[in-house]
Amino acid sequence: MSKDKKRIKRRCKKTLDVIITYCILIIVAFIFFFPCLWLILASFSKSGSIYSFDGFFPKEYGLDAFITLFTDTVMYNYQRWFLNTLFIASCSCILGTLLTILTAYCMSRFRFKSRKAMMKTTLVLGMFPSFMGTIAVYLIMTQFHLVNQMWGLILIYSAQAPMGYMVQKGFFDTIPYSIDEAARIDGASNFEIFRKFILPMSKPMLVYTALTSFTWPWSDFILPKMLLQDKNLYTVAVGLMSLGETEFARFAAGSIIIAIPIIILYFCLVKYMINGMSAGAVKE
Amino acid sequence: MANLSLKHIYKVYPNGTKAVNDFNMDIKDKEFIVFVGPSGCGKSTTLRMIAGLEKITYGELTIADEVVNSLEPKERDIAMVFQNYALYPHMTIYENIAFGLRTRKVNKKIIDEKVKEAAKTLGIEEYLYKKPKEMSGGQRQRVALGRAIVREPKVMLLDEPLSNLDAKLRTQMRSEIVKLHKKLNTTFIYVTHDQVEAMTMGTRIVVMKDGFVKQIDSPKNLYRYPSNKFVASFIGSPQMNFFNVTLKKQNNDVKVEFLNVKEEISIPFDKLVKIKPNFLDGTKEVVLGIRSENISLKKSSNSLKMKVSHVEELGNETLVYGDLDLNNDAIGDSPTKVIIKIPGFKEIEAGSIVDISLDFSFLHLFDKESEESILKRVPDNNYVNVEVKDNKLDLFGLEFNLPKAILLPSSSYEALIPLEAIKVKEGDKVKVKENEEVDEKYLLTLDINEHVLFALNEKKYQSVDISIDMSQITLLKDGKEVICPVERNNVFVGEFINKKIKDGKIKSHNEYYLKFLDEEFPSTDLITKKMCQAYDDRRVFHEKFSFSFRPSSIKISDSGVKGKVIKEMDYGNNKKYVTLKVKDHEIVVLDSKAKVDDEVYITFNIDEIGVTEIGRDIKVI
Repeated sequence: MSKDKKRIKRRCKKTLDVIITYCILIIVAFIFFFPCLWLILASFSKSGSIYSFDGFFPKEYGLDAFITLFTDTVMYNYQRWFLNTLFIASCSCILGTLLTILTAYCMSRFRFKSRKAMMKTTLVLGMFPSFMGTIAVYLIMTQFHLVNQMWGLILIYSAQAPMGYMVQKGFFDTIPYSIDEAARIDGASNFEIFRKFILPMSKPMLVYTALTSFTWPWSDFILPKMLLQDKNLYTVAVGLMSLGETEFARFAAGSIIIAIPIIILYFCLVKYMINGMSAGAVKE
Repeated sequence: MANLSLKHIYKVYPNGTKAVNDFNMDIKDKEFIVFVGPSGCGKSTTLRMIAGLEKITYGELTIADEVVNSLEPKERDIAMVFQNYALYPHMTIYENIAFGLRTRKVNKKIIDEKVKEAAKTLGIEEYLYKKPKEMSGGQRQRVALGRAIVREPKVMLLDEPLSNLDAKLRTQMRSEIVKLHKKLNTTFIYVTHDQVEAMTMGTRIVVMKDGFVKQIDSPKNLYRYPSNKFVASFIGSPQMNFFNVTLKKQNNDVKVEFLNVKEEISIPFDKLVKIKPNFLDGTKEVVLGIRSENISLKKSSNSLKMKVSHVEELGNETLVYGDLDLNNDAIGDSPTKVIIKIPGFKEIEAGSIVDISLDFSFLHLFDKESEESILKRVPDNNYVNVEVKDNKLDLFGLEFNLPKAILLPSSSYEALIPLEAIKVKEGDKVKVKENEEVDEKYLLTLDINEHVLFALNEKKYQSVDISIDMSQITLLKDGKEVICPVERNNVFVGEFINKKIKDGKIKSHNEYYLKFLDEEFPSTDLITKKMCQAYDDRRVFHEKFSFSFRPSSIKISDSGVKGKVIKEMDYGNNKKYVTLKVKDHEIVVLDSKAKVDDEVYITFNIDEIGVTEIGRDIKVI
C-alpha cells in the first residue's frame, strides 16, 4: 500500500471518530436539554393546561402564567412561598456552611481520640439515602414542637450539612500544616489561625460549600412536604406541587423563576472557585 | 538571648517508636548550634520539641532558666524558620513580617520601623508590598528570616532553611545567616543534613543518628577527634578510610595487621598511648580510620601497596581511588578501598601499583562491635597493671597506701583508674610530659617511670605530686572485679502508686507514693509533678520503674527502713561507707558512725532519686 493511501485512510478514520463523538454529544445534550426546553416552552403556554398541548408543545404562547404567578395570590401565594424558601435556604446556607467548615477544620487539623472512628461512621452513614430517616426526623421534630415551623427545617438542613465534610477536609489537608505552625509561633490562637489564615485561603471551598448548602434546601421537596402543613409556610417546591392539574403553565413558570437565584449566585461566586489561593506559601 | 538546657529529652510515639532518645545538652547564650544527621535521625523532632510544636514525651526543657515543657510556642519567645518557608500567601510581605508583632499588640509605629529595618537588613525593602507568590525562592526564604528576626526572640530555630535553594544561593544565604547571627547576638539552633553547612556555621555541632546523640563538639574537634565510627564517617568529605585490623603490642611498637589483605605495619606506641590496652593483644578486631588527606603517595619502611582504580582531578586537589587488595578494583563497598587526597595535579595511571604511607599522628581506632573510639582524646580511664603488697598499691614504682576498705591479698591486679580519681598538685615526684587543653581543662600526660598516666586538672604543670581517690577505682583479677567503685547507685525495682484519701463524705484527695523494698515512701510534690507530667494517662501507675539513689542520698536516722550493717568501708579523710543488709538488698550508705552488726534505720532523700522506666528503658527523672 502506498504512503498516500495510508495517509488518506488515517485521515478518514480521524474524521469518522470526530463525527461519531459529536453525534453522541449532540444526543446526550439533547436528552439533557430537552426537558428544560420543554419546561420553558410550557411556561409560556397561554391555556395553562397540559391537556391543551399539541403533542409535546403548547398550541398558543403568552406570558399569562408568569403574570398570574405574582398577581393571583389568593389560592396560590407564590411570592410567599418564594420568600419562605429564600429564608430557609439562606439560614441553612449560613449555618450549614459554618458547621461544615468547622467540622472539616477540626477533622483536618486536630488529632483526638475516636477521630478515625467518627470519620468512618459518617462515611458509612452517608451511604444510606437521607429519606430513610424521615419518619424518625418527623417524630423528633414533633417532640421538639418544631413541626410546621421554618426553624425546624433550618435546623435539620444545618445539622445534616456537616455530614458531607469530607470534601472540605480534603481541601484543608492540602493547606500546608507549616502555615499553622508558623502562625502559632507568631502568637496566633487556634481560632485566629482558622479565621486569619485558613478561611482566606479556602475561598473556593467556602463558595462550593455555600452553594451546595443553599441549593439543597432551595430545591428540596420531601422534608418541607412532611414538616410544613400551613399553606403560608410552604416552600416553592411544596407549593408548586399543590397546584391543580390545569395550572401546569404556572408550575413551569414557578420552576423557571426558582432557578434564577441559583444561576445568579453561581455567576457571582464562580470567580472565587479557582485554584491557587495558597500559591507562594510554601516550596512545592 | 537565653541559655537552653535539654535534660533527658525523649520523644516516644504512641506506637512505641522512639524518635529521640535521652537528649542531654546545655546551650549557652549566643551559641550557634547545628543539629546534623541523616534523614530520620530525630534532629527536626528535637527542634520542634524546643519550639513547642511537638510534645516532649519525657524530660525537661529549660529556656532562660524557666521550664517550658507545658508552655505554648508563643509563650516560649522563640522564632522559627521553616524548610518550606511557610509564608502567609494571602498577605503582603510587610504583613507577613509584621504579623508576629501585631498579635503581640506592639505599637503600629514601632512595627513599621522594625519591619522596614528587618527588610533593609535582608535586602527585601522593594518587595514589601508584594505577595509571596511574586517572589523567588531565595527572596521568600529572606522573608521567612525577616519574620523570625523582627520579634527579637530569645532563641532562633532554623529547620533546614536552605535545603530548597540552589547551590549558589545556598552558599550565599549560608554566609548571610552567619552574619545575621553575629548581628543579632542571639542563640541560634540550626537543623541540617548537609555536613558542609554544619561545619561552616556552627560553634558546636550535635551529630545524631537513629534518635541518639552520637557526639556534641566544635566542628574542629568533631573532625579531629570523632568519638565513634559514625561521626568519623559522617563528617568530612571524602569519607574517612576504614580498614579492619588487629593490634598487637611488641615492645615500643604496635603491630597493625590488615585483616582483608596480608599487609602489616608498625606504629610507635607513643602515637597510641591513649588506647584501651585490652585491644592490644592481637585478638580483638579493630577498625582503623584515617582521613584521605593523611595518606600520602610515598614509600617508607611502613608503607603499603595500593592498586589505583581511578583518579579525579578537581583543580586544586586530586582524589586518588584505589584498593589495598591488588586483585580488587575499589568498586562498591570493598573493605580495603582507599581514597587519597593530594594537593594540586598529579598524573597517575589507573591500574598502577603505588606505595602509600599513613600519617600515624592522625589515626583513629574504633571497637569493631560498639563502633566507639578506643583512642579517645580524653580517655575514660587509665588502664594499668598494679601490684598490691602489704596493703600498699604499687603503680609503676609509686606507692600508695590502700585504705582500710580495700583489703586484698598481695598480688598483681589490673586497675581502671578514672581520670577524675587522680588528684594532682604541684610537686616534683612525677614529670608532666604534656599539658593538652581540652574544654577549659588540661589533660595532663604524666610520665611515671616511663609509663603513661592521664589526669584532668584546671591548671597545667611541669611536674606534680599525685594521689588517688581509691573509692573510684576498679581492680580486676583475671578479668573478674575484686574492687568496684563505691559511688555506684543503689537501684531498687518498684512502682509509683496513688491513693485516694477521703476527707469527708464527698471530698477526697490523692496521695502519691514510691513503692520499693516492700515499703511505701511518700513522694514529694516535685517528683509527683515530674512523674505525672511524663505520662498523660494512668500508665504511670502501672509501669515498673527502677529507682536509684546515690550512697549520699540515703541517711541513717532514728526511724525508717530497718537494716543491719554488714560491712564498713573506710577510705580515710572522713570518707566512710557502710553496706547494709535490708530485706535481701545490699545498700551502700555514706556514713561515718555505724559499725558492723549495728541495727540501723535508713531514710531516702526522695528529691535526689533517679527514675527509669524499665519496659522501654526511658529515664523519666
